[in-house]
Amino acid sequence: MGGDYAPAEIVAGAVLAARSLKVSKLFLVGDESVIRRELLKHAENFDSHVLHVYFLAAPDLLGAPSVFPLVATHGPVVARALRLKRLSHEWGSLIGGRTTHPTKAVPGGFASLPTVKELQELREKMLAAVPDLVETLKTVQALAPAIPAFSRPTEYIALHSHDGYALYDGDIQSVLPDGNKKLYKVADYRKCTNEYMTAASTAKFTKNRMESYAAGALARFNNNHEQLLPEAKQAAASLGLQGICTNPYMNTVAQVVEIVQSFHESLAIVDEFIKKGIKDEPLSKPTKFGKGAGATEVPRGILFHEYEYDKDGMCLSGNCIIPTNQNHANIQKDFEALVPQLLKEDADEKKMELRLEMLVRAYDPCISCSTHFLDVKFIR
Amino acid sequence: MRYLVGVGNYCAWDDSIGLRLIEYIAQEGLERGFRAIDLSGNSLNLLNYMEVATEHILIVDSAKMGRRPGEFEFFKPEDVQTQKELRGLSTHEGDLLKILEFARLMNYPVPPITIMGIEPEEIKNEMGLSATLAGRIPEYAQAAIRHCMYSIIPKEQEEQLP
Repeated sequence: MGGDYAPAEIVAGAVLAARSLKVSKLFLVGDESVIRRELLKHAENFDSHVLHVYFLAAPDLLGAPSVFPLVATHGPVVARALRLKRLSHEWGSLIGGRTTHPTKAVPGGFASLPTVKELQELREKMLAAVPDLVETLKTVQALAPAIPAFSRPTEYIALHSHDGYALYDGDIQSVLPDGNKKLYKVADYRKCTNEYMTAASTAKFTKNRMESYAAGALARFNNNHEQLLPEAKQAAASLGLQGICTNPYMNTVAQVVEIVQSFHESLAIVDEFIKKGIKDEPLSKPTKFGKGAGATEVPRGILFHEYEYDKDGMCLSGNCIIPTNQNHANIQKDFEALVPQLLKEDADEKKMELRLEMLVRAYDPCISCSTHFLDVKFIR
Repeated sequence: MRYLVGVGNYCAWDDSIGLRLIEYIAQEGLERGFRAIDLSGNSLNLLNYMEVATEHILIVDSAKMGRRPGEFEFFKPEDVQTQKELRGLSTHEGDLLKILEFARLMNYPVPPITIMGIEPEEIKNEMGLSATLAGRIPEYAQAAIRHCMYSIIPKEQEEQLP
């Protein structure tokens, strides 16, 4: 799993693999470990969203081929993006050991813990980043008019929790464009993913109540926006994002809202740890063996892992359904609706290609795919 | 600080050699006097290790150099032109040369950087590693650590050498 395809998913994968086993009651994990994992997931979400918003979406919206020309034209914006990336790197490294393939989050707990002093230093760095967050909102507000107007009725699937805006844990929830919601237990994840193959692709597709569904920041927002922190709700309002939004290009805006959410939620967690102190919990050991499924939210959407272990601790089977795959069918359906719209607008080939590439990028698939996804051939 | 950085892709067979080398160093407890970093394809994160105090970054990656599969070579970024086809900056697939250019544009303190290129036997969309490369991982680790630690000597230490 991972490599060029999913550095961010690997953080979630490490967290989820550990938690999948907990779900199957193989490992008992203390509440503090859960909170630390939430902190790690927020760092991952923050880092990935900053990367996508600034380095992939912003050049599109500014009409630049990449971030390189922006160094000359928007140097302070690029410098701000790198400062935010640096913050999330230090934040994720402190909790997870390193940002890619984290080493500290292990089955049964954490291999080592940050000290209160280190958390205080992190807190200072986070507070120093507040002006950059404020400026990020202003930048995205300024770019918002360039976000293409396109809407297609879509089903959105994300985790949902009664405890708050779900990122780490919860049940599976689907919401339709009319607001109709349906919950599923994580153990029943196959009932709402319904993987299938098509002759045109080597990748698996998924569908549930409609012919396709979307996962990701916009799916989370559409399912759970009422549970956002006030700061994130305010950010959404300032950016014109309202639930239920069916414009896939607005996924980038939803990511900005989640940057604010992850920042403030993490600051509260860090404050709590500083106040209470760090409690060292020994790693929990396996108590029994069997099969278990877990679901968590990663930057690109809901991620499912399922594993089966025998009494010797050997893995007998595994099944992972990643968000990029879950979005394949929805991207295809978006294409089928968008191309006729572009033809109707009499868009030239360059504009069509850009709008289609932007659509793929809006889903924030692995960056190799988002950069090299399309080879458009026009047949007249 | 010195960094030994593995880049590559677990899903692309021998392109994973840099990452597997970092795994090996961690498993064998060889990380002494330097930090072993798994960067995967997220080359943009290399910027996070470019600080005034950074003495040397050694990047391990697969590289098609026209040598026999499994052979390796150390070279400087400025010695080569990338073979990868890129359009602008692809942060995930990560053309390191582009990242270095970006770092200089953004006035990062770019430390001495060396690349350890390992000739792949095959690069394909599959998890795994060829036996040719897998059998030489201890040798690669020894060479990489030696190069990371001793090939770039700070000026003040160099002056103390006999």
